[in-house]
Amino acid sequence: MNPRRFVVRVFAMARKEWMHLGRDRATVLFALGMPVILLVLFGYAVSFDIDHIPTVLVDEDWTPESRSLASHFSSGATFELVATVGSAREVERLFREGHAKVGLVIPKGYGRELARGNGRVQLLVDASDNMTASSVLSYASRFNVWKNHELLRVHFGNRADLIEVRGRALYNPAIRSVVFLVPGLIAMIQSMMAVILTALTVAREWERGSMEQLFATPVGRLEIVLGKLLPYFGVAMAQLLLVLALATWVFGVPIRGSMVALLGISTLFLLATLSQGLFISVMARNQMVATQAAAVSSMLPSMLLSGFVLPIENMPRPLQIMTNIVPARHFVHALRAIMLRDADLSVLGRDAFALVVFALVMLVLATRRFPRRLA
Amino acid sequence: MTALLEAVALSRSFGATKALDTVSLGLHSGELLGLVGPDGAGKSTLLRAMMGLIAIDAGEARVLGVPWEKAPADSRERLGYMPQHYGLYTDLSVDENLRFFASLFDIPKDIFQQRRTRLLALMQLERAADRPAGALSGGMYKKLAIACALLHRPQALVLDEPTNGVDPVSRRELWGLLYEFVHDGMGVLVSTPYMDEAARCSRVALLHQGHLLAHGEPAALVAGFAHDVIEVEGTDRRALEPFLEAQDGVVALTPAGERLRVVVRREVRQQVEGQLRAMGARVVEGRADFEDLYLSLVASRGAA
Repeated sequence: MNPRRFVVRVFAMARKEWMHLGRDRATVLFALGMPVILLVLFGYAVSFDIDHIPTVLVDEDWTPESRSLASHFSSGATFELVATVGSAREVERLFREGHAKVGLVIPKGYGRELARGNGRVQLLVDASDNMTASSVLSYASRFNVWKNHELLRVHFGNRADLIEVRGRALYNPAIRSVVFLVPGLIAMIQSMMAVILTALTVAREWERGSMEQLFATPVGRLEIVLGKLLPYFGVAMAQLLLVLALATWVFGVPIRGSMVALLGISTLFLLATLSQGLFISVMARNQMVATQAAAVSSMLPSMLLSGFVLPIENMPRPLQIMTNIVPARHFVHALRAIMLRDADLSVLGRDAFALVVFALVMLVLATRRFPRRLA
Repeated sequence: MTALLEAVALSRSFGATKALDTVSLGLHSGELLGLVGPDGAGKSTLLRAMMGLIAIDAGEARVLGVPWEKAPADSRERLGYMPQHYGLYTDLSVDENLRFFASLFDIPKDIFQQRRTRLLALMQLERAADRPAGALSGGMYKKLAIACALLHRPQALVLDEPTNGVDPVSRRELWGLLYEFVHDGMGVLVSTPYMDEAARCSRVALLHQGHLLAHGEPAALVAGFAHDVIEVEGTDRRALEPFLEAQDGVVALTPAGERLRVVVRREVRQQVEGQLRAMGARVVEGRADFEDLYLSLVASRGAA
């Protein structure tokens, strides 16, 4: 093989592919618009920050103490008082109708008991929504500790003999879930976009009949595959930079680590996912099948097995092992390390290695399964 | 002399259909070889097999004397090929298509410019250079496809139905071009479903249902035609047709305008003519052409 001719032909393929893109406004718009729409959509919709929970109050005591407790409880942004009812039974009715998720029941005699150091209230939670429920319960126990402190100080002037655990949230001081989610979102969106972009390209040559003409020229399979990879790498990189810019400016996600490391790991990730798309394209031969295979094979793993939402540590062991062959998993890990924690680059070694291996395996498969014959 | 491209006892099936059945055919320098047969005869399959584009079941496809599996990497640089269906990029312009194929063959820029100018002039495409290939007429598109196949100056040019879907004027021009190429020493292999185009070739191969019926120089093939052709007119055709079809000596029967063209065995011609005249028909001497030849060969294969 003549290496100069190899390069010439790869670039000839790449230039041609680039020209197709230039003529195809719809694809370019899709390629640049879709990630932005997805990020904004998911960025606002997917949030684990729970606030403004509809709350009902049952105050059977009706004393200054009970009123003070109720107003304290609902003073923050977490709970929003939507109704005051007469009994716990009515709270349940509101739960069933979906008007409320939390009920605070202050029993008769609360004020009196409180003075004896024995104040009890009941918190009802609609746990059919487990995320809200656990978040409410953890808030309630924090409220409990804090309220006790205050009461002890006010009633007994006593502030000693109590342990106080103070947490400090590093890297994401406000514990905003968006900071944690956006890097994962970027990985998921880019997985889908990169795979879908390239999945169509080889299938398109089969469909439009130009493959026969190509096969009659000296161009080789690897040259076709690489020539198709190059321009889409450019497009995917542009998408990624766009999405990163959006993440920082719109969602305030920081980039604390090195930009070079970020671009480096992104390059490996894009090569891996673009190669996956090429492999699908080689196998599918028509654009319909290719699109569906691309969407399923990129979206599901990057959503479920990447650690984007579901923590990998909590998965059964076989699934944990499987996540190693999901490029998004490595990218999510690396993005969080670089963007949020400015981690030492040595923690990226495993991710980089996995992505390189994945990309190579996909490229080899794409080339080998690419028939150099029509039938 | 080694054949540029050669099929040796080549067979290929698609499922239960035998697309090619032990076909042998060679293309040599300086000849215009026509592959003639109706749709579905196996023309495209044979051309693709000879170009090393499809797998074959039995026999061998050779390029410059070497089987395709062992062919040197640069073999394709000696061959130009135009598939039957649109193989160019319809969203790219005439010029962009030319440039792309030139770069796949690694043609230096200055040489490309010379050839581009010459080919565009030859194909009368100069004014369409910036037009997308998809916006060209059928004839212009085929000319562009041929130009793309000629950029690297191949020794052999294989064209799958270059005149199909092309108007008669452009068709004549295309044949004129092919003669020029052959005159310069190129070997050109052309397939066509049109029998009347067979006479334009220096050699023809007649293909029917994957079988090579005959091949040789067109004049010799027609001269060697063993039957006579007569044309019958002047009476009710509906009465004549069943009568002729029932005759043992009638090999083929085709309507030609008001007349019926009849290919008849020489030994029974007098007798058939006599009967036709008795039925009130007029009989005129016809000149055998390729269609008669082809139909008779098909008929005798069916009888065998």
